[in-house]
Amino acid sequence: MRALRALSGLLTRIEGWALVLFLSIMIVLSFAQVLLRNLFGSGLIWGDQLVRQMVMWTGFTGAALAAAGNRHISIDALTKFLPARVRHALRVLTNVFASVVCVYLMLAAWGLLLSERESGGEMFLAIPEWVGHVVIPAGYALLAIHFLINAVENGRAVFIKVGGKG
Amino acid sequence: MESLLITVGLVLLAFLGAPLFAVFGAVSMLAFAAEGIDPSVIMVDLTRIFTNPTLVAIPLFTFAGYMLAESKAPVRLVNLARAIFGMIPGGLAVVALVTSAMFTAFTGASGVTIIALGGLLYPILLKEQYPEKFSLGLITTTGSLGLLFPPSLPIILYALIASISIDKLFAAGIVPGVLLVAALTVYSVRQGKKFNLQRHPFVWSNVLSSLRAAAWELPLPIVVVAGIYSGAFTATEAAAVTAFYVLVVEVFVYKDLTLFKDVPRVMRDSMTLVGAVLMIIGVAMGLTNYLIDQEVPNRLFEMTRTFIESPTMFLVVLNLFLIVVGMMMDIFSAIIVVVPLIKPIAEAYGINPVHLGIIFLTNLEIGYLTPPVGLNLFISSLRFEKPVFTVVRATLVYIGILLAALLVITYVPALSLWLGEALGVK
Repeated sequence: MRALRALSGLLTRIEGWALVLFLSIMIVLSFAQVLLRNLFGSGLIWGDQLVRQMVMWTGFTGAALAAAGNRHISIDALTKFLPARVRHALRVLTNVFASVVCVYLMLAAWGLLLSERESGGEMFLAIPEWVGHVVIPAGYALLAIHFLINAVENGRAVFIKVGGKG
Repeated sequence: MESLLITVGLVLLAFLGAPLFAVFGAVSMLAFAAEGIDPSVIMVDLTRIFTNPTLVAIPLFTFAGYMLAESKAPVRLVNLARAIFGMIPGGLAVVALVTSAMFTAFTGASGVTIIALGGLLYPILLKEQYPEKFSLGLITTTGSLGLLFPPSLPIILYALIASISIDKLFAAGIVPGVLLVAALTVYSVRQGKKFNLQRHPFVWSNVLSSLRAAAWELPLPIVVVAGIYSGAFTATEAAAVTAFYVLVVEVFVYKDLTLFKDVPRVMRDSMTLVGAVLMIIGVAMGLTNYLIDQEVPNRLFEMTRTFIESPTMFLVVLNLFLIVVGMMMDIFSAIIVVVPLIKPIAEAYGINPVHLGIIFLTNLEIGYLTPPVGLNLFISSLRFEKPVFTVVRATLVYIGILLAALLVITYVPALSLWLGEALGVK
């Protein structure tokens, strides 16, 4: 349990800093592009493409953090009014489900990556297209891990009274 | 039989609180598998939408909104508005309405407004003897007011999903947005007269000093709106300028936030929301393509046509339907799931897609306030430590006013379409 919590903490810290890096690149580069276009009439050819890639990279790291913090968008109208124990039990179910779906999505993304490697398309600056898409299977893998950790933690909470409310 | 079981299972999982992107992802993967199509097709759709140039605006505007919420911008904005509106009866309520609307345009109705501005205004309202019920309802309502003003996140998302021009939808939202604020203002001023509270005299020096204090932030909405409408820059460019400008102003000019401690925290907070929204967008294209492939919109249209003949009647049913959707779903998932279904049907009834967008967004704005799941009700209840039931009761009057305004917006398409045409927005 402690090892699991340490893993989760380590992952979120790395994801957090990766996210700061990706978003910073996006903010600075997109602003630089606007300046270059308006003052000098031309921006960097690869600038807009890199910004768009960063949206995807930021999105997946942000989504991993959302999974860790239980902040993915869901319908909580019905579960809100259930006793804590039932709610934890349901969260085991929904988190396992989300984890399984993410594994399948990861495999689908992996398939795309392989076919892109074969076709050998280029993104910009001679960087192959598949490099930009590495974040998709990696992101879904992170999501799957976080959902699984959540499931275990909620499973524990079903059996252990938390704050006497159980 | 088997597919029916799976469908029921997935719907059940959704209602039991499974992340919606996982539910949608499962639907689209199963659908493709049933057709014998490789599931990596979903990922082709995903990369296409994630690298859409317009999508860049979403993280950039959201980051800027969160930065403003975390800085002292709410204090400066409220001070200025108080100096201007303090003299009229119910002036403080008007302050709440105007500042929240401006603010929500940037924060995209994610609950940030209630926490940042409401947390500031609610104690002041009580201190100036506004009744608790009036104040609580007001602050809860203002949490999503301004959703129709550019550059709000739901407008961008709607334009993206419905594939209509963002600039057109931005222009369309302004007059209906003003109508909502105006309707609530009239109510607040009348109540303010009834409460007979102390008014604050209008003092020029107060206005000037608060203007000076907010001088770096005030130009933002004007530059964004004017820039987009005049065609000087696109929504994406406006987002790039806004994000960078807000970062520099809050960190180096006002020094409200520190670059190495606060900014990374705000980045993580804001991008958690963006990541959650993007995950849904990512798999939604697969879902939408599947629904269209199965001719679901067509079948729905055939079905509705047997019951509903006139567009007028259709709009009534649409509003009722959307209010129910707003009760059950948050605005982002609602846009992604419902828009691809109703857009073709509405078009078949001859309803302008831009007007439909405004009707949709207004309904969902009201959905933030309707029990049982209206997000604002719960944020207010948590933030101000009041039972949800008390918040619901305090909000009912405001819901009534917004519903009346919704009817006007629904049946007078010119409100939504006039400005865009007058400005010649493409």
